[in-house]
Amino acid sequence: MTLPATLGEAVAALSAMPAAVPVAGGTDLMAAVNKGQLRPAGLVGLGRVNEIRGWQYQDGHALLGAGLTHARMGRPDFAALIPALAAAARAAGPPQIRNAGTLGGNIVTAAPTGDALPVLAALEADLLVAGPGGMREVPVTHLLAGRELLGPAELIGHVRVPLLHAPQVFLKATGRTGPGRATASVAVVLDPARRGVRCAVGAIAPMPLRPLEAERWIASLIDWDADRGLAPEALTAFGEYVAAACIPDPPGEEPLPPAVLHLRRTVAALARRALGRALS
Amino acid sequence: MSNDAATAIPAVDGPQGPQQELPTHGLGASLPPADARAKTEGTFPYAADLWAEGLLWAAVLRSPHAHARVLSIDTSAAAGMPGVRLVVTHADVPGEATYGRTVADRPVFASDLVRHHGEAIAAVAADHPDTARLAAAAIAVEYEVLEPVTDPEKAFAAPPLHPDGNLIRHIPLRYGDPDATGEVVVEGLYRIGRQDPAPIGAEAGLAVPRPDGGVDIYTASTDPHTDRDLAAACFGLGPDQVKVVVTGVPGATGDREDPGFQIPLGLLALRTGCPVKLAATREESFLGHAHRHPTLLRYRHHADAEGRLVKVEAQILLDAGAYAEASSESLAAAVAFACGPYVVPHAFVEGWAVRTNNPPSGHVRGEGAMQVCAAYEAQMDKLAARLGLDPAELRLRNALATGDILPTGQTVTCPAPVAELLQAVRDFPLPALPMDSPEDGWLLPGGPEGAGEPGAVRRGVGYALGMVHMLGAEGTDEVSTATVKVHDGMATVICAAVETGQGFSTLARQIVQDTLGIDEVHVASVDTDQPPAGPATHGRHTWVSGGAVERAAKMVRTQLLQPLAHKFGMSTELLQITDGKITSYDGVLSTTVTEALEGKELWATAQCRPHPTEPLDGAGQGDAFVGLAFCAIRAVVDVDIELGSIRVVEMAVAQDVGRVLNPAQLATRIEAGVTQGVGAALTENLRTARGLVRHPDLTGYALPTALDAPDIRIVKLVEERDVVAPFGAKAASAVPVVTSPAAVAGAVRSATGRPVNRLPIRPQAAVAAS
Repeated sequence: MTLPATLGEAVAALSAMPAAVPVAGGTDLMAAVNKGQLRPAGLVGLGRVNEIRGWQYQDGHALLGAGLTHARMGRPDFAALIPALAAAARAAGPPQIRNAGTLGGNIVTAAPTGDALPVLAALEADLLVAGPGGMREVPVTHLLAGRELLGPAELIGHVRVPLLHAPQVFLKATGRTGPGRATASVAVVLDPARRGVRCAVGAIAPMPLRPLEAERWIASLIDWDADRGLAPEALTAFGEYVAAACIPDPPGEEPLPPAVLHLRRTVAALARRALGRALS
Repeated sequence: MSNDAATAIPAVDGPQGPQQELPTHGLGASLPPADARAKTEGTFPYAADLWAEGLLWAAVLRSPHAHARVLSIDTSAAAGMPGVRLVVTHADVPGEATYGRTVADRPVFASDLVRHHGEAIAAVAADHPDTARLAAAAIAVEYEVLEPVTDPEKAFAAPPLHPDGNLIRHIPLRYGDPDATGEVVVEGLYRIGRQDPAPIGAEAGLAVPRPDGGVDIYTASTDPHTDRDLAAACFGLGPDQVKVVVTGVPGATGDREDPGFQIPLGLLALRTGCPVKLAATREESFLGHAHRHPTLLRYRHHADAEGRLVKVEAQILLDAGAYAEASSESLAAAVAFACGPYVVPHAFVEGWAVRTNNPPSGHVRGEGAMQVCAAYEAQMDKLAARLGLDPAELRLRNALATGDILPTGQTVTCPAPVAELLQAVRDFPLPALPMDSPEDGWLLPGGPEGAGEPGAVRRGVGYALGMVHMLGAEGTDEVSTATVKVHDGMATVICAAVETGQGFSTLARQIVQDTLGIDEVHVASVDTDQPPAGPATHGRHTWVSGGAVERAAKMVRTQLLQPLAHKFGMSTELLQITDGKITSYDGVLSTTVTEALEGKELWATAQCRPHPTEPLDGAGQGDAFVGLAFCAIRAVVDVDIELGSIRVVEMAVAQDVGRVLNPAQLATRIEAGVTQGVGAALTENLRTARGLVRHPDLTGYALPTALDAPDIRIVKLVEERDVVAPFGAKAASAVPVVTSPAAVAGAVRSATGRPVNRLPIRPQAAVAAS
């Protein structure tokens, strides 16, 4: 176990020992170790890399450190910047997990139920990846879809997120009132400067899904120069549009099984509610 | 509004009356458990904390298949790994190859056939836990995977999974006239899921070999003597050569530390001559121990136009998993209580417990009774809807009372204040609606900052009545032995009744305080050198072991007072002991217990054996139960009818407790039971696919959290003493577990208008019909 103090040192440590695994909060990694599913030959602890534990501003964007914990992201000052990410962080589990688990960890674990992922997809966030060859940029969706992978000794250093100065909503459906894994989640962000609505649906597929047509359609209905309100029927139609795009009817006569039909109804209700709250 | 259940208790009319100061010791006092501080601070040692010099670590290889023939087991690679001391398989079991609490049908290690996912095949002892696990994984087992039988309905016709056949027990209960019919008939099909006892501490133990060739096993057993006997038989040793020493029990709502964990552990210790420790992972815990029986129930209720029940017909199918375990007793409870605490003139109930390749089922508190409660209460709701009656009113018209006859032909001789309980919960004010008390903040279904939307939330109210039996049924010899010692102003209780959290050791202290007037009472730890006290289930220890402690304490009292009474020419009844002082009725005599003892030690041992019961006969008839306990619950739920998310707002509980022995402890037992029941109603279901357990972890198996636990209002504790029970007290833990899921289901039914015929309630079943 090595404990580098800078991102550069961390990359060097990983280069020196290619079998080592970086660990931040360890909420996923150490659980796998304890279960005996993973036996890393070495660990590179990221807890002392201070440059990735906060955030900074860069021409209309926020550069979020990959080591930001969910607890930190849930606080009001962060919520004023990126409300949907703060909401996802607050919903991400019990306090013990939120205190340890990090933004970068949520991305590299890439669990379908990762709560931050649909928000990052809706924000069209970019990852700043540090590696032996220097820094490179990877859209978060490319990493989640497997179009680009992290190379040897590469680490997510920062996540670049646009500051949109407009309402954002993250909603998730779970099986219980207490913290639990999402059965479906929806992030809706408004981008008034580009007159856009962006929406991503999490937990129902291996990666967040973007209903692009539904986004364009609903953005065209919104009067961006006035109060941005929509009729309830339009909200309902948006929800159903999103749900049908993410969970399409199977080809042929075969109807969807009841559990999938319920999931589709859940997505529709979440999308409708999320947009309604964003526009209210 | 915000008073909790514990503070609600004194409002109940107890023997002290509301005005009197609450007692601080003796029966009726809220004496705190002696180990409460250590447990709260995390210093209390559990079995997983034990250590011995030079100990080895055990790991068990478990079957990845639900049903497979074992063609070969090659342990050579594992045995050759550095650090590995021993690998044992079925060939190394010196004594009986199979064990079982009721029928010895379960192999210690699978030899030719595995019958469920997670069945033990081999065990390894090594000098490090990781080495042991890696070595277990290195054992090469060749399987021929067989088609698993996972549908209990298909078990009847399936090829036998076991030499004993697939039918473990069949009870055809016949009571009354089969041709009777009612004017109104309602039918239903109900499915109950697989609840796991999910103890907060997973199984763990330490086995230490003895110089005499025996072995001591330190573990959190809840039935140490049975476990010892089973282990000794498998080791080929006499019971005197095996000792089970009970450590702290980290949660037990079913049988704990089943022999499937202890026998490999003891075997490794015996064969290596070293202490061996085993600490199961959560996954192993989920795979290895017994679960609540998944149950399929078909019901037909006949009633007259006024809503009085005429006849109940039912078919109950229990999925026992691969081995018999406690299925026979669970089935007896399910069949006997199939109609619930209602008067039913004619009942025809067929019950079966069958083998499948699903995870093993066994004793989890309220077993049998909980599954049928969900079904018969759903039927009562259907009947009320059909007749246009209020659900509580329909239940009142049929409520059972003392002197009525159960469908098993047994007359209810104990107090059965069913109608009183139901009236109490019905008359308790409903919780305020959020719009009436906006300052309270409304926790919507889906949780704080969740997706819940007030406009989509509907509130529902549901009622349920439940019953359980106490103590072993059907002729089980119930006996417990306790010893009380007094020396130097301090008393000690020695009894093999295991403190599982049910409060026995606190109760034992209270009994001795009450009888001997000595405040300082110590309860000895339990091992199998003490005489047996029976398993810690079915409220046994409050009744049987508590009774034994009381008798022993009374014998000590007589020994203590006899010389004094003789000296002063009066009977011992005229002397009383309070706060360590002995006084006579007229005040002439006044001395202290310490002086009266004159440095002597006084010992007395006594037994308690309740009146015998008899097995259910071929028609399901017989006086099978020693005692019964009843409970009424009114559930209030909020349902988001678009997402199907449910939050239980409040559970109002009225319970038949006989006598309140420790108000604080009683309240916690009821709260714990209700919360476990809420889990069974909403989230707790150990899912399987083709017999393989999916997500055997606490993320996949969702227990209720603090946010899921409802407000629990104990609105009435009916203290009608049961004359045959010591102190007149009834067991309190199981009946809220039995009743809660049915009440929650009823409330969801009323909120959504959906039938709700499956537990746990899936979100898609709680979405309003559109």
